[in-house]
Amino acid sequence: MNRRSFLKWSWGAAGLLALVSAIGVSLAAVLRFLMPSVFYEPPQAFKIGTPADFPFGPPTFLVEEKIFVFRDRDKGFSAASAVCTHLGCTVAHFQSDQRFHCPCHGSVFAADGSVQHGPAPRALDWFEVTLSRDGQLRVDKNKVVPPTYRLMV
Amino acid sequence: MNLIREIWQSIVRRDRLSTDKGKSELVFLNVWLHIHPAKVKREHMKFSHTFYLGFITFFLFLILLTTGIALMCYYRPYPPQAYQDMKDLEFVVYMGSFLRAMHRWAAHGMVVCVFLHMCRVFYTGSYKKPRQFNWVVGVVLLLLTLGLSFTGYLLPWDQLAYWAITVGTNIGSYAPLVGGQLRELLLGGHTVGEAALLRFYVLHVAVLPSLLILLTIVHLWRVRKDGGLSRPVWKLKESKLETLVTIGAPAETAALQAQPAVTSKTYGLMEVVTGKPIFETVTPEEEEDTVFSYPYAFVREALALMATVTAIMTISLLFRAPLEELANPAKTPNPAKAPWYFLGLQELVSHSALLGGVVAPALMVVALLAIPYFDRNPSRQLTQRKWALGLFTLFVVVNLVLIVVGTFFRGPGWALVPPWVHVVGGAE
Amino acid sequence: MERRLQQIFFALSLLALALIVAAAWQANTPSWKTYQHKFYELEAQGEPNAVAKAAVLATPPEIHQQLLTGLQRVDRCTTCHLGVEDPTMKDAPEPFRYHAGLGPHVPARFGCTICHGGQGLATDEESAHGKVDFWPNPLLTKDYIRASCGRCHKEGDVPGVPELTEGRRLFETQGCPGCHKLNGVGGSIGPDLTGEGANHRSPDWLERHFLAPNVVSTGSAMPNFHFSKDQARALTYYMLSLTSEDMGTYYSSVRLIPGPEFGRQLFVEKNCITCHNIGGVGSKTGTDLQGVAQKHSIEWLDEQLVNPELVYPGSSMPAYDLEANARKALVAFLSSATADDAQAIISRRPRPLTPEDVAIEAGKQDFARFGCVGCHGTELQGGVANPNAQGGEVPSLLHLSDDYTKDEVLAIIRNGRVPPMDNPNGAAPPLYMPAWKKVLSDEDINRIADYLWSKQQQKKDSW
Repeated sequence: MNRRSFLKWSWGAAGLLALVSAIGVSLAAVLRFLMPSVFYEPPQAFKIGTPADFPFGPPTFLVEEKIFVFRDRDKGFSAASAVCTHLGCTVAHFQSDQRFHCPCHGSVFAADGSVQHGPAPRALDWFEVTLSRDGQLRVDKNKVVPPTYRLMV
Repeated sequence: MNLIREIWQSIVRRDRLSTDKGKSELVFLNVWLHIHPAKVKREHMKFSHTFYLGFITFFLFLILLTTGIALMCYYRPYPPQAYQDMKDLEFVVYMGSFLRAMHRWAAHGMVVCVFLHMCRVFYTGSYKKPRQFNWVVGVVLLLLTLGLSFTGYLLPWDQLAYWAITVGTNIGSYAPLVGGQLRELLLGGHTVGEAALLRFYVLHVAVLPSLLILLTIVHLWRVRKDGGLSRPVWKLKESKLETLVTIGAPAETAALQAQPAVTSKTYGLMEVVTGKPIFETVTPEEEEDTVFSYPYAFVREALALMATVTAIMTISLLFRAPLEELANPAKTPNPAKAPWYFLGLQELVSHSALLGGVVAPALMVVALLAIPYFDRNPSRQLTQRKWALGLFTLFVVVNLVLIVVGTFFRGPGWALVPPWVHVVGGAE
Repeated sequence: MERRLQQIFFALSLLALALIVAAAWQANTPSWKTYQHKFYELEAQGEPNAVAKAAVLATPPEIHQQLLTGLQRVDRCTTCHLGVEDPTMKDAPEPFRYHAGLGPHVPARFGCTICHGGQGLATDEESAHGKVDFWPNPLLTKDYIRASCGRCHKEGDVPGVPELTEGRRLFETQGCPGCHKLNGVGGSIGPDLTGEGANHRSPDWLERHFLAPNVVSTGSAMPNFHFSKDQARALTYYMLSLTSEDMGTYYSSVRLIPGPEFGRQLFVEKNCITCHNIGGVGSKTGTDLQGVAQKHSIEWLDEQLVNPELVYPGSSMPAYDLEANARKALVAFLSSATADDAQAIISRRPRPLTPEDVAIEAGKQDFARFGCVGCHGTELQGGVANPNAQGGEVPSLLHLSDDYTKDEVLAIIRNGRVPPMDNPNGAAPPLYMPAWKKVLSDEDINRIADYLWSKQQQKKDSW
């Protein structure tokens, strides 16, 4: 391209550059548009009620939140994920053997969530349980804690 | 490096663009660009010839297509969630209200531009032989555009939507014999309800856009095959009646072979076909008046595109798309108005249901479709088409007046109220 | 030319870039982000150390929403009102202030708009507070928020909202159901009020309307009841609470545990003491009610109150139309009632009632409950304006016996009557006597007629 023809089309080239950046910003904006700003699903951090709402002994299964809430007389509260680490099925807690069983591919998790049988690649998650200022228990699924974690009330 | 070069060459096969060959190959080796001729007449690129209305309409449709697909990701077509989704677009979705406004204003713009495009084609006489059928396709595209706008009108499920569609579909139900059933078929019920919303949604996002795209392809293809853009009226030679033959035309038209072939350039399957193509033929002196589509035509189209996009974006930044209360079948706003482009009909219906609901729309559609076959005057000179121009202008003016009256001059109870008079809402 | 076109193309592309950036900027800077930032700054002040401060300040901005499927609402108010559940924000400026006294009504369960009104889905102040076009339900002002309690607490006494109870009482005693339907019961002269609260009339309008119906609503047939300001307010509360919205089981099953005080009130109102006695004090016609709540199950007592005939065939006890909560309240009262209570109730009466008095009293209560008093007046005085009817008003019922036999009156109640017109060519009078035979049982109608006749006699006596 010689100098003359460059001059001839330089404005067009600049326009094209501006256009490409406008398209770039637009694409980014559309991607951001598609990222949900609100979720129509149970929030990741939520209050589950007052400590008195939970019995000692067998865990309370919260259907929507998909967690088991354990209350131990000596040790306090803990919350386990009910989502199998293999492919996301909901596990059941058997009172008879104190273990978690996944109905999909037969994974079995011990009482502390560790894998005992089946294809599950890792242990069940345990979530942080805290006491919020208004006296309710709060579970935050964003915060994974070791299985030994307990909230004493 | 050789590999990169090879990959590049496997994609782009044309010569360099500095050569004439490269410029033509850019057009006709590219599936998207080859709807253009490789070379265009200078006169066709003149803004005052077409006002680029066809392009603008097409670009508006592209805006509608892209924004529409984006909006679909946040829309559930059942009440009252549909309305909640509008609120989400307005309040929480990133740029949701902007995209919705773009979709809304582009839709109105498209209705306007299709209509203006039709007027331009009429006034330049471009619907005349050999372009009669493309005019018909164009009229159908106009109807499809109205249909798309009308079906989209219901989707927000607010009071505006609900009552506009209730009134609009009732205009249609005045058609004799089948009117009621037609309305039921369209609404999937006797009133505008859940079934109607779903049907309008299906029509709006699937049926009508597909038809519109298919017919647009036919429309553009026909523009090329009918000889490209029609010649500007001012370029027409006085009373030069062109005699034309369709490619592969039956034998009896072969008489037209008599025209000397040497003065004109012919395209097409020259070995097989007798006669000239139907194109307005290009004489050698005219040949000199052409330029390569690249870059001359493309720059102008890009300009039209950018002007359209920026105009819609500016309007959308300044004005939000309207959204009223949740649809409430128990509470009719006073007055309840159909979408603005149907207000002419509603105005007529307010005087005579038969006239506005049946006679006028049927007559309008039939008349529009029949224009190229009914108007046998071959001349495209304005001075030789006084009747046609007069009638069409009357049609346009009456339509506009009725729409303006219906939009701005009709108050509560469909009473005649000038827009500058503020009517206080009726007593509760 | 080509150069100029390129320049325009460049300019337009640049403009497009600017526009899309402007749109993105607009989308990036909603007002709620500013509020959240201010809130976290406020919260950080209360944190002890720099690390905690930084952590609070680093909280990413996000929209908070309460999904209230049972209430068919989504409330995003807590996006800005971040301190609603945080007691340390007791003295914070709005919109961050703590909401004291929520009790069980936690935002996660109830949201905000069910009580406060406004637009829960919105995320900017004007829209959220509903002070915009096309949102018919703006925030209720402080004076009227408590009216919303009645949306779930539909029966009995709502503690802290005497207006609601008073409004409901006025509605039932001043004859409103004579013209207005509520939940399918009532006359058809006026509009159905079942979903009145959802019509989003302004409280101010309602209140003015009750004080002067046909001034506010021109041409309304509704008589002026000469309510006091307090009564108009109470009725406004009641109207605002009326909703046909589906509240979901969790909310509609919310019941206040009815107290014995309400039961005692009912016991007096329904004249139970005229037939019954408690520990021997009162009438011996009916049973002794002392310890009755201990003798029978709650279900049995409930059934007895709903349908005495079913429990004791041939029982002379009338079936009182009591709502579930009222029945529970009565039982609660009876479980602790003693002879002293009965004595106290009797001593308040000017003279002891006879069973006949009670029948007439029941007729009077029917006369009020089915809304006859709306037009004919609590003292049968009539006098409500009824343009173009003979005499121009609803006639007094105190001289019925001069013109009609009792059977004729029964027939008029059953079949209704359109008043004769003053000017036969004029508009029909707005008020007329509806036919009651499909609404009332013959027993009710007879009772009402007895009541009317008792008043006639009194009139003659007084002459």
